[in-house]
Amino acid sequence: MAVQYATVLFIILVLNFFLPRMMPGDPFLILSADAENEVISVLTEEQREYFRSYYGLDRPVHEQFISYLGSLARMDLGDSIYYKVPVSDAIWLRLPWTALIVVGASIISTLVGILLGLLSARNREKAGDKLLLLGLISFSEIPSFLLGLIILLAFAARLKIFPLAGAVTPFANYSGPLDAAWDIGYHAALPIITLSLTQLTGTFLLVRNTLVTVMTKDYIRTAKAKGIGERLVWTRHALRNALLPVVTRVGFMIGMLMGGSVLVENVFSYPGVGSLLREAVVARDYPLIQGIMLIMAVSILSVNYLVEIIYEHLDPRVASYEAA
Amino acid sequence: MTFDSYNRQKNAALLKAVRKSSSAWLQQHLQYHRQSQRPWSRIIGSMLCTFGKFTMAGKITLFGLLLIVFVAVFAPFITIYEPSAISGGSLEPPGPEHILGTDELGMDIWSQICYGARMSLIIGLAVALISGVGGGTLGLLGGYLGGNWDRVLLRAIDITMALPSFPLLIVIAAFLNPSILNVILALVFLSWAKPARIVRSSALAMKKQHYIISARLNGASPSYIIRRHIMPEVLPVLFVSILNIASYAIVAESGLAFLGLGDPTSKSWGMMLHYSTSFRSIYFTPYWQWWLIPPLVALIFLLLCLAFIGRDMERVIDPKLRMGGRS
Repeated sequence: MAVQYATVLFIILVLNFFLPRMMPGDPFLILSADAENEVISVLTEEQREYFRSYYGLDRPVHEQFISYLGSLARMDLGDSIYYKVPVSDAIWLRLPWTALIVVGASIISTLVGILLGLLSARNREKAGDKLLLLGLISFSEIPSFLLGLIILLAFAARLKIFPLAGAVTPFANYSGPLDAAWDIGYHAALPIITLSLTQLTGTFLLVRNTLVTVMTKDYIRTAKAKGIGERLVWTRHALRNALLPVVTRVGFMIGMLMGGSVLVENVFSYPGVGSLLREAVVARDYPLIQGIMLIMAVSILSVNYLVEIIYEHLDPRVASYEAA
Repeated sequence: MTFDSYNRQKNAALLKAVRKSSSAWLQQHLQYHRQSQRPWSRIIGSMLCTFGKFTMAGKITLFGLLLIVFVAVFAPFITIYEPSAISGGSLEPPGPEHILGTDELGMDIWSQICYGARMSLIIGLAVALISGVGGGTLGLLGGYLGGNWDRVLLRAIDITMALPSFPLLIVIAAFLNPSILNVILALVFLSWAKPARIVRSSALAMKKQHYIISARLNGASPSYIIRRHIMPEVLPVLFVSILNIASYAIVAESGLAFLGLGDPTSKSWGMMLHYSTSFRSIYFTPYWQWWLIPPLVALIFLLLCLAFIGRDMERVIDPKLRMGGRS
């Protein structure tokens, strides 16, 4: 398993290293858009040679790759062309906002998903349950950014209940930390709701189906026979055992939410890493694009790896199954 | 049980199920295809059988998908203006001249929707077919032949499934020239693993079934068994995964275009979303009502159609899946 993740990481690093080198053109020449093969150079031949050796582009490729790995190990992702600051600083500034909506969405969708799953399993085969199921399944099929656009149009553009953009009110003077927290929460509400809705159905179905299976087990019958009451059987005996697969899901959900937040942040003009990525794309700020992608990929991979390890501890059957 | 009597029994059961729920036309075709001995005919038969058992929602969405295909194919005949011709004033509201109004450059939005359907469908179809057929073939060979080849394949599948697809897609699209071909290749690279894994596991399970073993002992070659016995069974399963890949590819393409990583010369629904949301303070103007809503509705409609068809298909073939798993 560790070998697999290491291979994946290596593939990502190789792609990240070679893709810019596969691009047409030369970093120190300007390709003219007017004529087909016209090349404009604002630098003399010696200056270009100087820059090439300054950036290490005259060395063989494998040496460049090794020095690239070395700089990554020092947490050096290069400098942003557009923002004129180190890439890691630019990302670090935006990361808290993305973390806020990703963590917020995973908490909300997990809690609501468990609650709805419990309700749905208890009221199985009733009309309300079927309607809930159909509605949630339809929601889950709409990708996050389209859902975000609908929510934005309805609640911000049309009803004007929520703000259209941003993470805080511009030029706000807060009277206290509570006021600031309220403002941040108010601005984060729509992105968090959007992201939660995309992941809600998965958790909901998982809890519902596991509960239905668990309820047929012998120990549930025993608990019922003891006469401890329907409510306690559901919450204490059934739900506790149904929560095990939810743990894995939360981990993988965080990975998916990070991917989804790239687009959702752009819908709501939320100043997280995803908006930074769009700005970098518009400005063609390649070191920044690479840095963002690397940080995202590494965090998704490490979360998934962590989840697999945690799950093995929670459920020893998995480890013995894989060893067999 | 010899495989002939197995087949006869299965055909009878399937026919009974279909007779309950489908039209005479379908039954006729089904009877013909099921009894035919040619493999392709049997494949068509199993497809028809699947469609026949759809729910109402599945049939409606199948019709919706056909409608979108119709609009895409006959786009030049149902539109008046070229999608990238400046045919009116800037940001005209919907009216008799332009059914859905115009965008900021004065291009007709209805034309853009119709021609944009082509982009989504081509990307979806191409990626789904290439990775479905390619991944499916790899999985089939791996599952049926086994050995070292299977071990390598399994490793490759595991690694591809663990790749964080969206961040990777963004860098690939940002660095390579964002032509349709590059987007398709990148999406195929990220999505072939799922069909490969599904087909591999069902081929593995089927290999142990009595009728396949008896066919092999009767001297049938691997290529004959794959063609005659495994393919018709695996194909419906593969088809569901192909549908899922198609909607994944459509979402990915429109997401990339929405981020500004699409081909700037092409007209796609994602590009329309990109241009309209990039328009400064569009939400304070009425423009979003006819500029942003049409591509949004079109995309959601297409994705819901694919999703419901896939779901129905999955439901229909599910008992077969379980049958394949039992050895």
